[in-house]
Amino acid sequence: MSEQTGTPLSALATVGHATPRIDALERVTGRATYTADVVLPGMLFARALRSPHPHARIRRIDTARAEALPGVRAVITHENGAVWWGAGSIAGGGQYNDELKQITKQRRYTFNNPVRFVGEPVAAVAAVNRHVAEEALRLITVDYEVLPFVIDPEEALEPSAVKIWPEGNLALNTRNEAQPNAVRRGSLDEGFGAADEVFENRFTTAFVHNAQMEPRASVAHWEGDKLTVYTPTGGISNCRHDIARDLGIADENVRVVCQYMGGNFGNKNQNQDADLIAATLARKAGAPVRLELSRKEDWLGMHGRWHTIQRYKVGVKKDGTITAIQSRAISGMGGYRKNSGGVSGLELYECPNVESTTYPVYTNRTSSGNNRGPSDPQGFFGIESMMDEIAHKLKMDPVEFALKNMRKPSAQLQYTNYSLDECIRRGAELFDWKRRWRPTPGSDVGPVKRGAGMSFMAFRAGLGRSSAMLRIDARRRYTLFVGVTDVGGGAKTTMGMIAAEELGVPLSQVDVVSGDTDRCPYSVGESGSRTTIMTGYAVVEAARDLKRQIAEHGIPAGNDVLTASATPNPNSGGKVRSCFGAHFVEAEVDTELGAVRITKYVAVHESGRIMNPLTARDQIRGAALQGIGQALREDLLYDRRNGQPLNAGYYGARHMTHLGAADIEVTFIEVDDGFGPYGAKTIGESGIILGPAAVANAVSNAIGRRITDIPIARDRIMGALA
Amino acid sequence: MAGSHKDEVSRREFLEGTGAAVVAVTAASTLGAQAPVPGALETAPSAVEDVPRTRISVIVNGTKHVLEVEDRWTLVELLRDHLRLTGTKIGCDRGECGACTVLLDGKAVYSCSNLAVWADGREIVTVEGLARGGRLDPLQQAFIDHNAPQCAFCTSGQLMSARALLNRNPSPTAAQIRSAMVGNLCRCANYPAIVEAVLAAAGQPNGGAR
Repeated sequence: MSEQTGTPLSALATVGHATPRIDALERVTGRATYTADVVLPGMLFARALRSPHPHARIRRIDTARAEALPGVRAVITHENGAVWWGAGSIAGGGQYNDELKQITKQRRYTFNNPVRFVGEPVAAVAAVNRHVAEEALRLITVDYEVLPFVIDPEEALEPSAVKIWPEGNLALNTRNEAQPNAVRRGSLDEGFGAADEVFENRFTTAFVHNAQMEPRASVAHWEGDKLTVYTPTGGISNCRHDIARDLGIADENVRVVCQYMGGNFGNKNQNQDADLIAATLARKAGAPVRLELSRKEDWLGMHGRWHTIQRYKVGVKKDGTITAIQSRAISGMGGYRKNSGGVSGLELYECPNVESTTYPVYTNRTSSGNNRGPSDPQGFFGIESMMDEIAHKLKMDPVEFALKNMRKPSAQLQYTNYSLDECIRRGAELFDWKRRWRPTPGSDVGPVKRGAGMSFMAFRAGLGRSSAMLRIDARRRYTLFVGVTDVGGGAKTTMGMIAAEELGVPLSQVDVVSGDTDRCPYSVGESGSRTTIMTGYAVVEAARDLKRQIAEHGIPAGNDVLTASATPNPNSGGKVRSCFGAHFVEAEVDTELGAVRITKYVAVHESGRIMNPLTARDQIRGAALQGIGQALREDLLYDRRNGQPLNAGYYGARHMTHLGAADIEVTFIEVDDGFGPYGAKTIGESGIILGPAAVANAVSNAIGRRITDIPIARDRIMGALA
Repeated sequence: MAGSHKDEVSRREFLEGTGAAVVAVTAASTLGAQAPVPGALETAPSAVEDVPRTRISVIVNGTKHVLEVEDRWTLVELLRDHLRLTGTKIGCDRGECGACTVLLDGKAVYSCSNLAVWADGREIVTVEGLARGGRLDPLQQAFIDHNAPQCAFCTSGQLMSARALLNRNPSPTAAQIRSAMVGNLCRCANYPAIVEAVLAAAGQPNGGAR
């Protein structure tokens, strides 16, 4: 094994062994407490009223009849209850940057006037029960001045389009300038001049809702100046800071609690308007409030993956060497800028001459924001479809084309280890690529045709600051305090396993306390697939400290305890740290019906050392299936005549069921690069990145027509074949 | 989006309407009168105290309850808000996702899509009633061993659907499991592990029929 591929693994006692979750019993008995399960004495129920219009100015809002309804305790609107929501609209979409939230000219409040999309909140009511709250909403009269709207992001960039913000529809960057994000390297003129052939194509991807099973809820409770918020968040520390900043109170006066959470996928990392609305109602009513969102409110009122339009122009030599790449992408952000709107993927290719421009654009659709691998699956679909097509046109095998052109380590670009080539080769072998891939696309005889596609990725696995605390008592029980929420990936168990490993004790001797800012130290939270690497490494350091203390003082006696904590901020010495992967897909297409079936799916990942093979496998399988859903199924359609969303919800968006789930074969290449806890890297997001590109390439290979738009619904297959 | 559209009738409103109609149909049949008019959908009760209530008797997880329920309560509201059995989850409240699945007289039903009054005289089993005498249902153990819950918000519903399936077919194939559980969504897309867990439970002695 070369230096670049890391070192083989040494066996460990706990880490690396398939381990059922430490809280599995709670998860299968109904005892796990989610936000909407929290009941406080005297608690009120709250519901929000939402705009039925895609774009409208509120002339007048009359809440008198709602306030007069028996059982109603508080009603708030943009006139008497709006709170500036920092994370709701950020300059440049820099979501973890306080300053960018502060400086944006395009501020979002919990209630806005004008409203900019169907489903935006305009009022909220707290009442003695849910039914009274819902009835009160029906008694609120809103006089709207309906404004022109724009649904299509390309139309939104036209000079004649209605302006959703005074500055126009191109979202402002981190300097509050209406400029696209541009990256330039080398010279396009030279690059295209050196090319033997130049290819161009246009790709589109759809809005994909996070669609986590737990609808948004928030329980807010004031005790004097101290606010406790029970809320589904994968980042309790960030959420606490967001809430405190937006309400103008000190961080220490906010406690955020999330013990269990029904799925994350990127829309539960920070505070949401629901938290601020619940807190405002609770303060006004003088009682705890539980705000509940319906499924449809969650679908339209939260956010999902930004939809994109991507154009590529690529110059290549006859031998397949890429000489120039030009890309222009438009990302639909909805009415507010919650995230960057970036489009990833170009960085995977070696090319000296690159120009990439991305336009994050406002429309009167529901907001876009974080979704598992925020900028990745849609971008990878575009560029890896483009490259697959070029390989076919050059009569090259796409695997050979990838191995030739993918980014490799160099003197300027050193990795802690690099295994992308190994992922691709191993995947091709396990998948039996040479047999399944059709050198002549669409060549199967008969109406049911098969084809194969692949894609590959590298995803950040960087190190960073996080904290952990550990305690031992006289009964030799260890208690680990970590500020993570187990959103489903198994973080609580993983943190316990790391502590047990480092302490040299069985996992059953370790209790894990998490999901409560009053009890746990800072953690980056479950976003960016960082928990295992960052908080996990803090656990290692805290355990080392505790071991040193035990060696010095012995096991505590009586009621004594020993405690240790760590806040490491490691770095990888200027080297890039990535996880790697390659997915290989065989698709079967019924060309008479336009139906697609996935007949083989091989996922090979190098994510360093695998902490818990049981949960890691299912992170990849589930993410790959989500990727297939994005490739074949999910969309949020709008009626362009009236700006109404047409299919919000699982059924309308055609979400995958048990029947649609393909068999996903997962292989991990395990190495230890010497960084992170025992060499662990990223998993959670990496598995979703490759599905859309690999599935689309497989379908294109099967039918002999390039698929340029996802989801690949039946009409698109039939359209491509027409 | 309660209340924001006139053309949008929530699941609960719809059920309230149809529920009221069912009650009325029963009464009307007795009197030999005409069925009620569709206008019933529009008549929402307007004050906290004077909403229609009905006394019902239900057996939940083996315990008999005699309760006065509001006619507008769904079964899942009765279970979660009033019997405090919060293991049953509300994922969509409109019959799409299956997180609220319970057994009603042994049959898997969406408790968001049934009114509480309809359960009168019937037996309900929720996830809290699966374990018996301190012993987990073999399905629960198999779910633990095979990592069937990820975020676990859908897990209660998956378990109840699987229990209903194994009660009528103790040895299902993977394809039969997928068909029977098609109404139970998992956004973590942990479908493979769930099917593996059900197969494992079915393969055990006592794993199947109860």
